[in-house]
Amino acid sequence: MLSPERLALPDYEYLAQRHVLTYMEDAVCQLLENKEDISQYGIARFFTEYFNSVCQGTHILFREFSFIQATPHNRASFLRAFWRCFRTVGKNGDLLTMKEYHCLLQLLCPDFPLELTQKAARIVLMDDATDCLMSFSDFLFAFQIQFYYSEFLESVAAIYQDLLSGKNPNTVIVPTSSSGQHRQRPALGEASMLEGVEASLFYQCLENLCDRHKYSCPPPALVKEVLSNVQRLTFYGFLVALSKHHGINQALGALPDKGDLMHDPAMDEELERLLVQVPGLVNSVTASSEASCLPSRTPSRVASPWRPLHHSRKVDVESDGSTEETDESET
Amino acid sequence: MHPASINTTRSYNDCVGQWIWERTRPEMVVSMVNCGLHLVIQTSSLPEKNKVEFKLSKDTSSFPGRLLQHDLERNYSSRQGDGRVLSPSPGSKSSCISTTTNVTELCGLEMKTATSSLSAFGDSSIQTPSKSRIRQGCHSAGPNVSGDHVNLVSSSMPSFPILQRSSEEKILYSDRLTLERQKLTVCPIIDGEEHLRLLNFQHNFITRIQNISNLQRLIFLDLYDNQIEEISGLSTLRSLRVLLLGKNRIRKISNLENLKSLDVLDLHGNQITKIENVSHLCDLRVLNLARNLLSHVDNLNGLDSLTELNLRHNQISFVRDVDNLPCLQRLFLSFNNISSFENVSCLADSSSLSDITFDGNPIAQESWYKHTILQNMMQLRQLDMKRVTEEERRMASVVAKKEEEKKRESHKQSLLKEKKRLTINNVARKWDLQQNRVANIPTNQDRKDPDSPSQDPCPVNGSTISAFPEETGPLDSGLISALQGLSVTDTHLVEVDGDTLSLYGSGALESLDRNWSVQTAGMVTTVSFTFIEFDEIVQVLPKLKIKFPNSLHLKFKETNLVTLQQFNALAQLRRIDQLTIDPQGNPVVNFTLWKYYVLFRLSHFSMQKINGTEVTQNDMIMAERLFGILAHVASSELPQYRMISILGDARKKQFQYLLEPKGKKPGIISEENNDSKRLVGENTNRATLNYTTRDFYNEKLEEVKEKKKFCKMYIEDLVKEATEINMKNEALQKLWPQMFIELVRDAVIEIRNKNSYMKLCLQQITDQK
Repeated sequence: MLSPERLALPDYEYLAQRHVLTYMEDAVCQLLENKEDISQYGIARFFTEYFNSVCQGTHILFREFSFIQATPHNRASFLRAFWRCFRTVGKNGDLLTMKEYHCLLQLLCPDFPLELTQKAARIVLMDDATDCLMSFSDFLFAFQIQFYYSEFLESVAAIYQDLLSGKNPNTVIVPTSSSGQHRQRPALGEASMLEGVEASLFYQCLENLCDRHKYSCPPPALVKEVLSNVQRLTFYGFLVALSKHHGINQALGALPDKGDLMHDPAMDEELERLLVQVPGLVNSVTASSEASCLPSRTPSRVASPWRPLHHSRKVDVESDGSTEETDESET
Repeated sequence: MHPASINTTRSYNDCVGQWIWERTRPEMVVSMVNCGLHLVIQTSSLPEKNKVEFKLSKDTSSFPGRLLQHDLERNYSSRQGDGRVLSPSPGSKSSCISTTTNVTELCGLEMKTATSSLSAFGDSSIQTPSKSRIRQGCHSAGPNVSGDHVNLVSSSMPSFPILQRSSEEKILYSDRLTLERQKLTVCPIIDGEEHLRLLNFQHNFITRIQNISNLQRLIFLDLYDNQIEEISGLSTLRSLRVLLLGKNRIRKISNLENLKSLDVLDLHGNQITKIENVSHLCDLRVLNLARNLLSHVDNLNGLDSLTELNLRHNQISFVRDVDNLPCLQRLFLSFNNISSFENVSCLADSSSLSDITFDGNPIAQESWYKHTILQNMMQLRQLDMKRVTEEERRMASVVAKKEEEKKRESHKQSLLKEKKRLTINNVARKWDLQQNRVANIPTNQDRKDPDSPSQDPCPVNGSTISAFPEETGPLDSGLISALQGLSVTDTHLVEVDGDTLSLYGSGALESLDRNWSVQTAGMVTTVSFTFIEFDEIVQVLPKLKIKFPNSLHLKFKETNLVTLQQFNALAQLRRIDQLTIDPQGNPVVNFTLWKYYVLFRLSHFSMQKINGTEVTQNDMIMAERLFGILAHVASSELPQYRMISILGDARKKQFQYLLEPKGKKPGIISEENNDSKRLVGENTNRATLNYTTRDFYNEKLEEVKEKKKFCKMYIEDLVKEATEINMKNEALQKLWPQMFIELVRDAVIEIRNKNSYMKLCLQQITDQK
């Protein structure tokens, strides 16, 4: 609790900035919504469960989109849940359309906006026809970037456009910023001839952006790594590079590396158990229906889906992404 | 004969110029087809009022046979048109034999009735004594007159022979002349025979009717079996009653304008293609057009006295105008090309027709032939020469009634079908409009449509009319007009067909509120939805479950099924064996995974068929493999409070839909309650995968928003309070050591002087007392 930032901020702002307030509000809201049922099994129990589920990342299941995107942790949890639930689709080798992926997303979040899925598909398909088929992993990593960093990417898009049209992006976005002043104009003439923008210039803008951005950003060092490999690049080229960069994926921490994407032994085991039931499906439904009613669910919770991969790293992501220099408070 | 006498002749046999014209029974026989003619003429022009009976025969030696032939021709069904050829049909043969005896009887009968006449028929000799024979090969043969009493002399005109009879002959048969089989190529000039009434030119080679215009009293002219190509030269024969032109080469009926008294006109065996120029023959009773080239019958107007019309052996395919013949009793249409009753339907409107033949027509082969005819022509006494019995008539009417019913039923059916089609069209149009409107709201045209609903039906109406000819051939115009009135405004359609309940248009969903009979409700196993938003269907699913508990097969077409999660809604039903999602209007079917998702989500139904394809074990395993983890995650990792909330929603939702139709009996709700309990156990781990319609979901979010707002304020206050308390607490913590020291110091100072302190304490104690 007594971390250095804790002292640097007033309590309330600190809580808000760490999204504690978000979860507290949501917890009370959930409590309100089902107060009769919850009061039966204890309010303390409820809060325990709530914050446990937040830690495990299961709190976002079937929640509304506004909640799912409310915090970086929620986003990461959602990404992870999506991967876990539909990994089998990818494993099966099915190539799906953007719309079908969207349907899958909607199974977890009924009001998931189509726009986000479309944008993710655009990253995969390089802004081409969005009706093409995509592999699960391509879509998933693109979607991860798009969903987790969506505000960041919007700003990047604006910067990119400004760079393309020759404006100095920083003067537009942050008029007081001094970092953009020394940037060179001459590159513009060539830039408009060639495709995309110059990588180093682009990076400077992005670095600047990351510094001031209050939403999650990819670690600047990794962005630099991405941009250092090329001379020029387009917006979608940048996004593709981001989505394929496994360091960023690691930093984000929601998904395993690409190589391990289809690998989830715990779940596979679970699936095998489920499959055994299928042949005698008619019988097993009636037999298992009682066993798996509400109260008896808990044992399977022991193996937390979230923790092994990820928990320690989460703090890093948060701290180097968004918090350090932000002094606006979220209310 | 003057017209005034017509009326009287109808009532009295002995009236002036009246041909007595009866059927074989009772006493007078007039066999009056082409070949032989048996006539009784009563003419008042003969002062002594004697009856003149003509016996005309083409072949006198075979008279009895011929008469028999006539008899058959008339009375039995050996219909060979011209009567010259006996039909080989066995039925007529037997009757032929039976009538041979009849003939003599008839002869006898005739003899009796005609005894007082001058007729030679009374003679046992069958040959007509009046017969004159002219033997003349041709013109070149010269006036070679042979024969009994007739001399044929060359006239001054080069090529016409002149006929003269001996005076004796003239006296004996003053009014008749027979020139049969004389090999005549032209008509001879007949001199001094102005009072001839009967003239016979049978079996010659005459090509043109000539030289008889002076015979103005001629009543009977027989030109049977010649080579006449055109009717002509008759304009002066105003008294002519019988004109026999059978077996010639006539192509056209013409030049009969002046023969207003014509009673019998025989044109059989010619090449006539069309009935024409006969409408002035208002006294004509018999018209024989057998063995011609007629393709249809019409132009019969004006033949007000026609009683018999012989049209055998033509190529007639339809008959019209027969209902304009007020006296027509006998109509012979054998051996033509009539194939349906519709083509001769005017016959049904003729009230006088009592005898008709259709044999040898395609129509007579049909199974419905007899009873259709009998039913439509109640006045008929003979059909195909057989007497129509009461029994037959009754049978016919029974069959016809049945047929009528069937027809009415099918008419009703087709009406309904048509109505259905139109309604569906209309619903489809509305649906399209709605879909388009959803897609592009800003376009002006679309916005115009909902504003002016009256405009909407118009195009619908127009298009249905244009669609009519192709699909509604058999429907009559009345039906069409009836249809146009009814359907245009219908925006939905509910149809129960056997075990299928079909709903078209969202309005049809209201029908689920109706009180369905237990039987109907029990019978329905298939429910099909078309042109209805799936989200709207979802709302009535609980009703569907109650009203149609046996529904096993659901069909969706044009229902806007877009996402997989929509299938979740179906899980609340009691049972589904089959699911059919038409790709039309349901984009979800284009997905690779939809089938597996359905199988997975509705696995508790153990579905047998999806879109008509049998569900295999492999499908089930695949479905589980793909989505099993989702279910597992949903069930095992969902926090309990969420579980309660989600399942609670589902339950609440059901209650809400149930309560909507007000006045439901509490019993149903409790039953529903059981169901929702069942729902919890229903499928182990996938109950949490449910579907709320967009509207409902948004509503819920709206509701939650309020709560969120409150929570936010509440937490804000709480946190602020807590942080304040925390600050105070921290401040207190900082102050506390100093305060403590100060307190101790004060206490020490106070008790420094022990004695005075003791005194003070004691003082305080005493004061208290």
